[in-house]
Amino acid sequence: MRPSSLFYNIKQGFKNIWRNRMFSMASIATMAACIFLFSIFFSILINVNYMIRTLEEEVGVSVLFDVGTTDERIKEIGAEIEKIEHVSDIAYTSPEEAWEQFSNEYFEGNEEFAESFRADNPLADSASYTVHVDEIENQDEVVAKIEAIENVRQVNQSANAVKTLTAFNTLMTYGSIAIIAILLVVAVFLISNTVSIGISVRRHEIAIMKYIGATDAFVRAPFIVEGILLGAIGAVLPLTVMYFAYDRLVGALLSRFDILSTIASSLPDTMVVFRTLVPVGLLLGVGIGLFGSIITVRKHLSV
Amino acid sequence: MIDLDHVSKSYEKGQPAVNDITLHVNKGEFVFVVGESGSGKSTLIKLLLHELAPTSGQITVNDHVLSTLRHKDIPKYRREIGVVFQDFRLLNDRNVYENVAFAQHVVEIPGRKIKKRVPEVLQMVGLAEKYRSLPRQLSGGEQQRVAVARAIVNRPALLLADEPTGNLDPRNSLDIMNLLQKINDNGTTVLVVTHNRELVDMFHKRVITMRRGIIASDVEEGKYHEA
Repeated sequence: MRPSSLFYNIKQGFKNIWRNRMFSMASIATMAACIFLFSIFFSILINVNYMIRTLEEEVGVSVLFDVGTTDERIKEIGAEIEKIEHVSDIAYTSPEEAWEQFSNEYFEGNEEFAESFRADNPLADSASYTVHVDEIENQDEVVAKIEAIENVRQVNQSANAVKTLTAFNTLMTYGSIAIIAILLVVAVFLISNTVSIGISVRRHEIAIMKYIGATDAFVRAPFIVEGILLGAIGAVLPLTVMYFAYDRLVGALLSRFDILSTIASSLPDTMVVFRTLVPVGLLLGVGIGLFGSIITVRKHLSV
Repeated sequence: MIDLDHVSKSYEKGQPAVNDITLHVNKGEFVFVVGESGSGKSTLIKLLLHELAPTSGQITVNDHVLSTLRHKDIPKYRREIGVVFQDFRLLNDRNVYENVAFAQHVVEIPGRKIKKRVPEVLQMVGLAEKYRSLPRQLSGGEQQRVAVARAIVNRPALLLADEPTGNLDPRNSLDIMNLLQKINDNGTTVLVVTHNRELVDMFHKRVITMRRGIIASDVEEGKYHEA
């Protein structure tokens, strides 16, 4: 298609929307509601995922050894742990470091008491490895393998919060997929309906076009453009609203529910959310518009 | 220009609308096709436009054998044919200029060529002054002139006119026929389906009379014969 014809058809697409404005508005509103809900679910998922990743980085597994295990054996155990699949990182804490950490936290302000234990470290047998796994789902498997290593006395897990979040995330993912799927079907149906009304309104014009010698693509193009535009407008509106309302919404939620304020520090930056949300939302809108108009044009416009 | 070789067209019920017609129209000819309602004239136009396919026989128009045309080649074929209808079939929400330019946009003529060609054609049909008028602001004769302008703006080799004067008074009818004559003088083959006895008799052209799907008579410089 020539550039001038493309421009002509884009103009016709806009005209179709205007001529058929009541139905166009209904389509745009449904699409906007759909993308808005999608944005909300998507933002929650991104936030929860981000929190899980942050916590995964922080939450490690502590590996303690049998009393009297030699330094050489501890090194061997370290090497064995490193070989286990899904282990992303391993760090050694010597008894001295463990005591220093403990005394710093426990005797804060009363350092002289800590000083009295210096000669006889109460945590002499508390050398440990802190092991991080790549994904929290793999932690149980890794723990079982570490526990099976000889001279390992105890393995401490502290990933319950992450596990709960992961479960919540999975639930949210399935829930949002189901709701969004229903809304998408409704949006496709409405766009298809709007385009088919446009076709019937322009049936006379289409007949003339065919007599004159318009190609199939030329006859169909304005309706495809119309679908894409409806989808794009239906996506831009809620994304704009989300962009301006997002920070306020998060702020309001955090101040209203105290329990949430503790996790505020592990929430992603607004731009992190929108860098993904905007292209995905736009693609979704345009995709639905394109799909809705193509199926309608194929059904009602055999040229 | 037009060759029909034993062409028949049957619909589901009743006798064939066109029954074993063989016909030849030369390039540059002006032909009237006359006959009563139901004689097969409109079916003939639809067959020539490749809107309908014949049940049997072969149609060749401007060297295109229509039965061998692929679906994607139909638009290209139709660009070689202009068509005018009794009811004008203009776009009522667009002015005269836009109605004529529409035919060029549809076949993807570049904008600068459209701007040059449309005023030329409007000048030819005598509507240069009214290029901004909407169809409802024009008389029937003027509306048909717009339809003729739209039909010839892409320089077709063949112009088909289906009852072009059916909705017009005698004076406007004569104007339209004179316009079609002018187009024919410029080299376009013209085939006019009509009921208008006076005009047919006035123009002394080839007259093909159809009756119940067959060609009842085909006379050079003929007159209208009641079927």
